[in-house]
Amino acid sequence: MRNLFNFIFRNGHWLVAILLVAFSFYLVFAHNSYQRSVYLTSANSVSGWFYSTTNNIASFFLLKKSNEQLLERNALLERRLHVFQELLDSLVAPDSVEVTAFAPDSIVTPQFDFIPAGVVNLSYSGVNNFITLNKGSSHGIKPDMGVISQQGVVGVVANVSPHFSVVIPVINPKFRLSARLRNSENYGSISWDGGNIRQAQLQDLPKHEAFHEGDTVVTSFSRIFPKNLIIGFVSDTGKSGDDNFNTFNVHLATNFYTLQDVLVIKDRLYDEQQTLEETLQQ
Amino acid sequence: MKISYLYEIVLFILLILLQVLLLNRISFFGIATPVLYLYFLLKLTMGRNFLYVIISGFLLGLAIDIFLNTPGMNAAATTIVAACRKPFMNLFFEKDEYDDFVPGIYTATGPFIRFTILMVSLHLTLLFFIESFTLFNLPATLLRIVSSSVISILLIFALDSFIFKRKRGEQV
Repeated sequence: MRNLFNFIFRNGHWLVAILLVAFSFYLVFAHNSYQRSVYLTSANSVSGWFYSTTNNIASFFLLKKSNEQLLERNALLERRLHVFQELLDSLVAPDSVEVTAFAPDSIVTPQFDFIPAGVVNLSYSGVNNFITLNKGSSHGIKPDMGVISQQGVVGVVANVSPHFSVVIPVINPKFRLSARLRNSENYGSISWDGGNIRQAQLQDLPKHEAFHEGDTVVTSFSRIFPKNLIIGFVSDTGKSGDDNFNTFNVHLATNFYTLQDVLVIKDRLYDEQQTLEETLQQ
Repeated sequence: MKISYLYEIVLFILLILLQVLLLNRISFFGIATPVLYLYFLLKLTMGRNFLYVIISGFLLGLAIDIFLNTPGMNAAATTIVAACRKPFMNLFFEKDEYDDFVPGIYTATGPFIRFTILMVSLHLTLLFFIESFTLFNLPATLLRIVSSSVISILLIFALDSFIFKRKRGEQV
């Protein structure tokens, strides 16, 4: 304390000088509107910069939440799209003679429902690839449900636990899916040869099938996926084991390196179709 | 000692009147204004108390501000210059010169000229930057500082030589 007083006494005249200068500047800002306006605008630009920077940083941490919200919203819209698509299909009359005596219920239950889920584990280094999702049977997921991403087909659910489910993706040699080129009716099957994970093979297409680079490959009839979901795009002709059939290399629409959020497809009519087909096999 | 205080008070009042009534109405080419009141700080005797110097400097600037209706600007610049007076003096004048020595163009020509140039240019730099307060029109501000400094320094030399010549004439 004594040192402090000594310091003040020894440098008291400098303290007076600083006080006088401070008082002068106070007068400058208090009584000159021009200087005050300049001071305030520069202070505002500094605080504005500060606020925009902190806001940018904060919004980065909220990205995850907004992403989930977007996905929920997307699932809702996809559901609606299917309702309207079915409605549209039912409006196209196959014949001009149509029975209008029976009107279907206006509240249409869509065949497909979409459950948003997040990827918690993903292996793509080996051959036996799989994806783990953070939703399971308690969220309504069952084995043999299709999984899609925002870009295209991902895979099929293989096993479920109450809170997790394991998906066999397109990039697994066990995966098979019937597919066709969008502009033709002939179908082949999609499989993966264990090489590049951005590329799968479309096999067993008839030889006469014309194709162009960039043609879209979509799902054909399948018990798991709705029709016309995008799988990928034809990149070039691949090796074929059979002279009567073509094989194409397909650039997959889904990027498994950056896969974060997926939608699980819930088919309401799956069980019905399954039991009906089983009666025939017996 | 008593006479030197009286002399300084008279100089104080005369310089304020001169600055306010005459010099601030002059503006060469619209940019250069002679600022002469700093002459008071230059002509204080060397051994003056630091507090005396800064308080008189502050009052001088404040008086100018009151007349020119620019509160605080001249006071701030002049107080800072008054606080710098002692270090600048140590820079140019011999330290063993006696305390009631008054710097002047005839008594210590070289040091006084350098001291004046430094003090006046610092003062006007501060003054014009406080007045413009931005770096927006920097070339114009610098032009004003340089031209006003040149005119003020020349005026101070002329005034100093004029006063002291007459004094010597009276003495002879």
